[in-house]
Amino acid sequence: MGHFKHTLLGRLLADPMAVFAMLIISGLVLVALFADAISPHNYAEMNLVDRFAPPSSTYWLGTDNLGRDTFSRLAQGSRIALYVALVAVSISGTIGLILGMIAGFGPRWLDNVLLFIFDTLRAYPTIILALALAALLPRGLSTVIIVVVITSFSEYGRVVRTQTLSLKNAEFILAERAMGASSARIVFHHILPNVLGPFFILAAMNLPVVITIEAGMSFLGIGVPPGTPSWGATLKDGFDFIRTTPWIIVAGGLPLILVTLGFTFLGEALRDQLDPKLRKSR
Amino acid sequence: MLQYTFQRVLLALAIIVVAISALFTIMITLPGDPTTVLLGPRATPELRAAFRANMGLDDPVLVQIANFWGRVLRGDLGTDYNRNRPVAEAVFSALPHTMALVFGAIFWSATLGILLGAFSADNRNSWLDRVSGILSVGFIAAPSFVVALYSLLLFSVTLRWFPTIGAGEPGDLGSRLYHLALPSFAIGLAWVGYVARIVRASMLETLGENYIRTARAFGLSRRKVIYNYALRVAILPAVQVLGVGIGGMLSSAVFAEIVFSRPGIGSLIYDSVSGRNYPVVMGSMLVAIGFFVTCALIADLVNAALDPRQRVK
Amino acid sequence: MNDLKTTSIFPSLTRRQLFAGTAALGAATMFPIAAWADGSRLNVRAYLEPDDYDPLDASGFLEELLYGCIYRKLIQYVPGEEWDWQLDLAETIEQASPTTITFTLKEGQMWSDGFGEITAEDVKFSMDRHMVEENNSRIKPDLGTFTHVEVTGRYSGIIHMERPFAPIWTIALPYLAGTVICKEAVEAAGGKITTAVPPAVSGPYRVVEHRLGERWVLERNPDFSGDPAEFERVDLIVVVDDSAAEIAKDAGDVDFTSIGAGSVQRLRENPPAGAEMTVHPALFYHWVGLNVQNPKFEDIRVRQAIMHAIDVPSIMQAAFFDVAEPSTGIIAPGLIGHRPATQIPPQADFARARELLDEAGIDRLELKLDVLNNVTHTTTAQVMQAMMAQAGIDLNIEVHESGSFWSLGVAADGDRWKDLELTIKRFSMTPDPYYATAWFVSDQIGDWNWEQFSNEEFDRLHDEALSETDPEKRDEMYRRMQDLMEESGGYRFLTHGVTANLFADSIIPATRPDGQPMVQFFRRA
Repeated sequence: MGHFKHTLLGRLLADPMAVFAMLIISGLVLVALFADAISPHNYAEMNLVDRFAPPSSTYWLGTDNLGRDTFSRLAQGSRIALYVALVAVSISGTIGLILGMIAGFGPRWLDNVLLFIFDTLRAYPTIILALALAALLPRGLSTVIIVVVITSFSEYGRVVRTQTLSLKNAEFILAERAMGASSARIVFHHILPNVLGPFFILAAMNLPVVITIEAGMSFLGIGVPPGTPSWGATLKDGFDFIRTTPWIIVAGGLPLILVTLGFTFLGEALRDQLDPKLRKSR
Repeated sequence: MLQYTFQRVLLALAIIVVAISALFTIMITLPGDPTTVLLGPRATPELRAAFRANMGLDDPVLVQIANFWGRVLRGDLGTDYNRNRPVAEAVFSALPHTMALVFGAIFWSATLGILLGAFSADNRNSWLDRVSGILSVGFIAAPSFVVALYSLLLFSVTLRWFPTIGAGEPGDLGSRLYHLALPSFAIGLAWVGYVARIVRASMLETLGENYIRTARAFGLSRRKVIYNYALRVAILPAVQVLGVGIGGMLSSAVFAEIVFSRPGIGSLIYDSVSGRNYPVVMGSMLVAIGFFVTCALIADLVNAALDPRQRVK
Repeated sequence: MNDLKTTSIFPSLTRRQLFAGTAALGAATMFPIAAWADGSRLNVRAYLEPDDYDPLDASGFLEELLYGCIYRKLIQYVPGEEWDWQLDLAETIEQASPTTITFTLKEGQMWSDGFGEITAEDVKFSMDRHMVEENNSRIKPDLGTFTHVEVTGRYSGIIHMERPFAPIWTIALPYLAGTVICKEAVEAAGGKITTAVPPAVSGPYRVVEHRLGERWVLERNPDFSGDPAEFERVDLIVVVDDSAAEIAKDAGDVDFTSIGAGSVQRLRENPPAGAEMTVHPALFYHWVGLNVQNPKFEDIRVRQAIMHAIDVPSIMQAAFFDVAEPSTGIIAPGLIGHRPATQIPPQADFARARELLDEAGIDRLELKLDVLNNVTHTTTAQVMQAMMAQAGIDLNIEVHESGSFWSLGVAADGDRWKDLELTIKRFSMTPDPYYATAWFVSDQIGDWNWEQFSNEEFDRLHDEALSETDPEKRDEMYRRMQDLMEESGGYRFLTHGVTANLFADSIIPATRPDGQPMVQFFRRA
């Protein structure tokens, strides 16, 4: 596994798109870590006199409806985005991974039950389920994460299941079984490593989706509490006052687009590197 | 194939039943009494009690679910007590608008996406491929509601090329299509990227397959190989993605309908969830999920018919 | 070139009798005279969809927007800057005794679709049906102590009340409850109007169709007994979002719309070509309410401290864009009972707040604020949060969408009402103070009285004031009631808000003093 990773990283760095993606992602992480240091103003400070200001040397991306500095708010927002993305993807990914492997490798009846649950969850359009759940649960970031997890884990589950199923009857697996290896050993030592490839690609592509779900929920007003500088909430403020100034929306959309671009490029690069058939045909 | 179809249809029905019943249970346990919202300050306790009785809100949950399905099987989607009219009326007058929006989006994403994807695969690793690749990702990246807002501002308000509100005059196909163009484009744009990429990736994968290399070995030209074999196979995942994508498009439709002030299932659901208008929520959800599951089912069956390897048994 | 005309109209505080009924205008001058009867269209925006076909189910102003075009009443509001009424179907109408109102109808006023003349029987039918239990009339409270209409002739009748009810002149007869519908047609249809196109109409317009979720299409009513309506076709277009409505107006899809307060300043500075804007004081009342029964607030000094920590001018600036004025109570200027000033000044006094808290022995106070999911209120909440910190108060904001929010204080929906601390609310209003104080009596605890305010004197005054016929006395009583509310420490009054309208200069709109449009009186410029 170690040798494999080293080669992978090396090859990734040779791909300009992957480099670009990694730059963006490290940029995101840095901004999130040092948000307070790089913000010219306190993100919550209101200057009503200066509200709706266009970009200037004082307010690099302008101000919002309460005179708060948009740049500082967006910088803070990177923390929220990163937090939601990592936590939600970790939780839903783990759940999906475990359930997917069980579904693929376990008894048929269990597979059918799990598949049925996956399919049922996928039957809900995301924002609709979000509306219903968000109304039931107390408002806040935890609720957003719960909503995202519930709407996402089935996707991981399906992919992992498909991968597990195709591996289940591979020759080396059959050989292991013939030699008497237990199911647990087979799953964790042989299936898991081979499933991780598509899994990580999915995770990389799912991260921007998760961030977008939070943005969408906050945009509709059912996400973070008011005053919280999530990117979606900033877009909502901008939308409410779109006729007064376009800058809040223009600025608010930028980090979302950059970050989703970055993660998606990374996912694409990973796919290019990890899919052996593709590699050969390059 | 017939047996497969039968099984899938049964499964789809089961999914719809479970999904809707679960949602029904969630709705009922939500805090918030519809009578308060619907009747406003004028509601007397007697009036509220009468409404509660009418809506059957005092029965146990399972009874309410059973009653709901009983009515549905008889073709009755319930009564909207806010307007004293059948839910079916509100839902079925809204549904065509959303369907038009979704199919418009599919049209945009399928045509532009397949073209872009095949083009990329054909010219793979050239700068053209790179640019298309970046464009594809760029389209996916922007949240659909931002795309909708920007389109509205640019194309409707500033350039005045497209109308801002509504769905057009009834009976006038031209007007309908004119009002449909921009919102469906805003929804479909994200999927152009997905489709293009899926098509490209799948074509490249197919091109590496044994049977393709055999065809090449037999002397068939590269172009022919791509467009006769690979593209056909590549359409499968495109169909799959779009079948799944309809769920995402329904979500995007909520935003598009709000931004462009269009009637439709999306805005109907959003308004009725906020207003705790249970009968309308359940009726519209049933139709929305039913529509989505049916589309996914059709995509699945088409998939299975075209490529028997996909029928996992 | 048209200059943007912005008139901020605040009626002066005169103690004139409300609805003296001075103007006895005939039907000929009330409805606009169309110089040319050529084809012309009008598109008016509706911020919610009127969706109740029968007045029994009407929810509020949006239905009146529709009914005003297609039905007539005994009297109607006079569009303009001061609240007044004018005759419509009535030839004469007067208060014969404290509990009776006699009226005579103009002759020859016709229904459409061949249903003949409008008679006193139609008036009786239209009003009495609200009192019938099975009909579950949603607007029955607007009629107060009304009992029935007595028909004394083909064109004459007497309106009976159990006790004197002054508001019948201001909120019942010229509004939803006073809508006259056709007895013969509605009875033939089963006793209730259940279709979008009603069986018979009497107003300047009639319904062509109702496109659900989109618009109402109306056209000129050829059977209308006044002069032909100004426009050949009128569309009431549903656009919920203020921004979208403005965009629609810019694009020419609507001719008249209300706009958000946030746009007023911008439009004043950059007036769009071919448009005019007017700003009217609204009747709504916004306030921060405090649950006086919550153990946290047992000490009145705590309540007063909180009141002192809310800076109303900042809220006006941040959430209302300086177009609205701080209010003095729940009754807007121009109505009987309007209070000239509050006891606690609208500016916050953080030092005083801190003082009071210290006296009460509280170091740091943590509070919960429940608000509705709309921009104005969430902005207000954020401003409050930022400012209260100065007095050592930590405010946690909880946002709810409408379904959840409006049941917070309702006992029938669970126990959340007991734990309420602070809420920001806005109630809609009709031009009579009775309609404001009705929600704050002791009976309303567990319903609309979320502050759980209970005061014997208040309850008694409310009951007496609705029957009081002397306007000066009524004025005093309603002012006293608002004093009591403020003294309880449960209410910090914010504003009445404004209604800003934007419209094409090709039309001359007609609005009530609070800015709500009366489409039946719109004219072309």
